[in-house]
Amino acid sequence: MIEERDVTDLQTAVEPTAPATTDAAVSLHGVTKRFPGGKGSEPVVAVDAIDLNIADGEFFSLLGPSGCGKTTTLRMIAGFEYPSAGSIRIFDEEVGLKPPNKRPVNTVFQSYALFPHMTVAQNIAFGLEMKDVGRDETARRVAEVIELVQLEGRENRKPKQLSGGQQQRVALARALVNRPKVLLLDEPLGALDLKLRQTMQIELKQMQEKVGITFVYVTHDQEEALTMSDRIAVMESGHLLQVGPPEEIYDRPRTRFVADFIGETNLLDATIRDHGIAELRDGTQVRLDSHEPAGTAVTLAVRPEKLGLVRADADRNHDLDAVHGTVARATFMGNAIAYEVRIDGGSEPFPVEIRQGNAPGIEHFAVGEQVRVRWSPSSASVLED
Amino acid sequence: MSIVDTGDSTAAVVQDSVARPRRTVDRVLAGNAWLVFLFLYLPILVLIVLSFNDNDRVGVWTEFSVRWYGEMFENSRIMGALRTSILVAVLSTAVSTVLGTAAALSLERFRYRSQRAFDGLLYLPVIIPDITMAVMLLLFFVQAFDIVLLVTGVGLSRGLGTITLAHIAFNISFVALVVRARLSGLDASLEEAAADLYASRWQAFRRVTLPLIAPGVAGGALLALTLSLDDVVIAEFVSGAGTTTLPVYVFGALRRGVSPLINAVSVLMLVGSILLVVGSLAISRRRTGG
Repeated sequence: MIEERDVTDLQTAVEPTAPATTDAAVSLHGVTKRFPGGKGSEPVVAVDAIDLNIADGEFFSLLGPSGCGKTTTLRMIAGFEYPSAGSIRIFDEEVGLKPPNKRPVNTVFQSYALFPHMTVAQNIAFGLEMKDVGRDETARRVAEVIELVQLEGRENRKPKQLSGGQQQRVALARALVNRPKVLLLDEPLGALDLKLRQTMQIELKQMQEKVGITFVYVTHDQEEALTMSDRIAVMESGHLLQVGPPEEIYDRPRTRFVADFIGETNLLDATIRDHGIAELRDGTQVRLDSHEPAGTAVTLAVRPEKLGLVRADADRNHDLDAVHGTVARATFMGNAIAYEVRIDGGSEPFPVEIRQGNAPGIEHFAVGEQVRVRWSPSSASVLED
Repeated sequence: MSIVDTGDSTAAVVQDSVARPRRTVDRVLAGNAWLVFLFLYLPILVLIVLSFNDNDRVGVWTEFSVRWYGEMFENSRIMGALRTSILVAVLSTAVSTVLGTAAALSLERFRYRSQRAFDGLLYLPVIIPDITMAVMLLLFFVQAFDIVLLVTGVGLSRGLGTITLAHIAFNISFVALVVRARLSGLDASLEEAAADLYASRWQAFRRVTLPLIAPGVAGGALLALTLSLDDVVIAEFVSGAGTTTLPVYVFGALRRGVSPLINAVSVLMLVGSILLVVGSLAISRRRTGG
């Protein structure tokens, strides 16, 4: 869709915001996108003044629920939408207001957007033809990329005659053949079934390492983002909540939303009592890796698999880290058992999810059993909100 | 669609109703179908048969002859009217196909102020009666020519030009309607993909959009051609003295009484229309079949 551009917005967009020169592949500076609202209503802010640097050669994911602004951000980098304000630089070249055909990036679309009236080879050659690289060069590069995505022998098929996975490869080949400086991928695996999706995740990652091109990958699937990315940016309502490597995003979520959106998590309200000590709602004191001043109310996030269970009457030398509770539910999951434990005491008992390995020798607990829940101070994250 | 979903059980029900003795209803329905066919095609058959009648009087059969076809091709007024019809049809189709396609593209691909109003207004010519359209256009041409005369001193008169303009005016709507139906089924990201692969706006249209909407454009063009060749009312109003299209000629001739010559002309127009319809069917089938 091409929408009317607001002239005043354009002014702010072109205004040199003078971002420091970086060696980033993609650099967003104060990028904002407002869409006109309905009649008489306020414009909708889809992306709200985000700053982001994506390094050369990085596999970078924009992760968030639908409507968080991740696709709009990608479309602004591609040139399908123009930013209402801010600057977009690709290898230090300002591209914010350039049309898509003038940008050194290519896109793999969610729907693949293969040209149905062209064969696989014609689809792949389209970009090279538009760039006028010459007949021989085109043929050579098309053959090369067809080999890369393993589509030999299907050059003369029409997209409709291919399976979903093969169409996905054509879409990838059609973008990669142009040797873009940055490849943009908009939920490219969304239309595939689970098994194929998992295979393609690994293939995509390997391909990215092989061609060495910067990938910007949009997804709402946290597992996909964790598996493939070098770095992840978690988005919500047009804001970047946290940017970092997958381990950091998973182990050290900074906000309630990130902790909740990525994997499962237990949120515990607590108050800082002393340096490195927090008191939970039930009165138990736990150790913390935190330097918040005493008296601050905080939320702790602990992953279910970082929690351990022991019998209530077991040896008590870890008391500082343990809270007492009752097993409310035990669910067998094959490789693990998921427990729901009601923590007693405090104003109201609250449930905690625990995942305990199912290897031989590990203790199992029955519903109704009195237990203590323990964790190491380093596996609890203190959230900012 | 419950009929499809329920599968076997529905098939059984259908078989049931066929097997049950509801013969009278079936017979009445079958008889009705035949009557409808007869009603539709008997006049055409009569027309074709009588066009090969040798007699001067329409209602009296003498013997088979192609005499009226010979006279038709030698009649300079009929041939002149045929030429005018074809010229008007081809010109108005060419112009309205380009403008109608452009209108469809702008309505389907862009968002702008007063789009709704434009949308509604564009389709008005499809629903307003021919006679209203004819009166409107006549008034318009009379007024416009008066103004031109007043301002430039050039006197314009109605004729081939005004008929062509009038046909363009209503054909744009029909072309836009048909092309838009095709466009709405087209994934908008295909054009984005073309732009992403370095195609300019024009290249994207030429290489991706146009080939994909071509069946719609061809269908719209054939519809425009047929409508233009068929039109009597509007052409009658906006044509000047001396310029006549074939349908207008037939209409005028009928007022002087039915002649076997008119039968032959009618058959000629019938054959022309059938060829156009068959042509458009062939195009759409080849496109969807591939």
